[in-house]
Amino acid sequence: MAGHNDSSVSEKKSSQAVDDLPTFSAENMQNNMKVIYYSRTFLSIIGGVIAGILGFTGFAGFIFYFLIMAITSVGLMAKAKFSVHSYFDSWNRIILDGFLGGLLSFVLFWTFAYDIVHIF
Amino acid sequence: MAEDLVLDTAIRDWVLIPLSVVMVLIGILRYFVSKLMRSTSQVPDLKIVKEGQVIVRARNLRSAANFIPPKSFRARRVYFSNEENGLLHVPKGQAPNPQAQMFSDPNMAMDMMKKNLSMIIPQTLTFAWVNFFFSGFVAAKIPFPLTQRFRSMLQNGIDLSTVDVSYVSSRSWYFLNLFGLRGLFSLILGEENATDDTQRMMQMSGFGFDPTKNLGAEKDSLDIIQHDWALPKFEQRAEKVLRNLIR
Repeated sequence: MAGHNDSSVSEKKSSQAVDDLPTFSAENMQNNMKVIYYSRTFLSIIGGVIAGILGFTGFAGFIFYFLIMAITSVGLMAKAKFSVHSYFDSWNRIILDGFLGGLLSFVLFWTFAYDIVHIF
Repeated sequence: MAEDLVLDTAIRDWVLIPLSVVMVLIGILRYFVSKLMRSTSQVPDLKIVKEGQVIVRARNLRSAANFIPPKSFRARRVYFSNEENGLLHVPKGQAPNPQAQMFSDPNMAMDMMKKNLSMIIPQTLTFAWVNFFFSGFVAAKIPFPLTQRFRSMLQNGIDLSTVDVSYVSSRSWYFLNLFGLRGLFSLILGEENATDDTQRMMQMSGFGFDPTKNLGAEKDSLDIIQHDWALPKFEQRAEKVLRNLIR
């Protein structure tokens, strides 16, 4: 995740976000969205494997997923140096985007790791 | 609730892991095959390229509208969208029927078919393979409880009503893999992977890939845009930025 972020979030936007005028470079913005998507997918897969190895079942696993996603959000915010508006057009991008997208990957890898480690 | 089943470790070694690995490998293979097939014989139609470029220009105008004076903006808008000879204006009745276009251009139909085939063939083959070798195994157990409704989804291929629903048959494990690996593929293959391709294709066929419709939509959004020249306010903005700098 750090590698992804290093390469692209650090590209400074053309906007200084001091004004109400949105001056965003569409390409950079898309790049940032892609970074968010990648980080979330990556972390949901890793989180799934961890949850499986630790042997979470039922509700605990889903709570773990939401915890992971919340940590991701905080991490992305820290990466943006808490000045979200110079990288994204709204807070929702960081907090909500792709929140449920990784769930299927998470469940798959959770099941996979859990099965391999625990049920056989 | 049935008591816990004891699954043989051989099932893990010879069903669960091979199945998952094969799914990943086939996904990668499909990506490269479809890439190879796509790169051949790409001669874009002049008219379509032209229209695409017009749309890009109109979009640029729309996104940067506030940086030019009102007069210039109006002139450009008229250039794009006036009712007689604007670039985005499509005369009625002249819009080509995409269906007819497809039949007149065998390449297009061919292309569609190739894309379709590169999707369908591996899927059918894998499904047949899974069916042939692994039918009837209880291969996995999902770590959370589900209701009876999911039985047909998760225990496809084993007809036992007493087994707990959270046990997954191998055929259903295949389906889970098929959908759940999309995220992994987008990580290892980059953004434009084969599964994205299918979504785009579905969109295309759903909307009835019609460039004139795009032109019309772009024209509409250009027409309703509120123009608000940004430059008069830029002195204050510059002042603010500079003040922030020296602070």
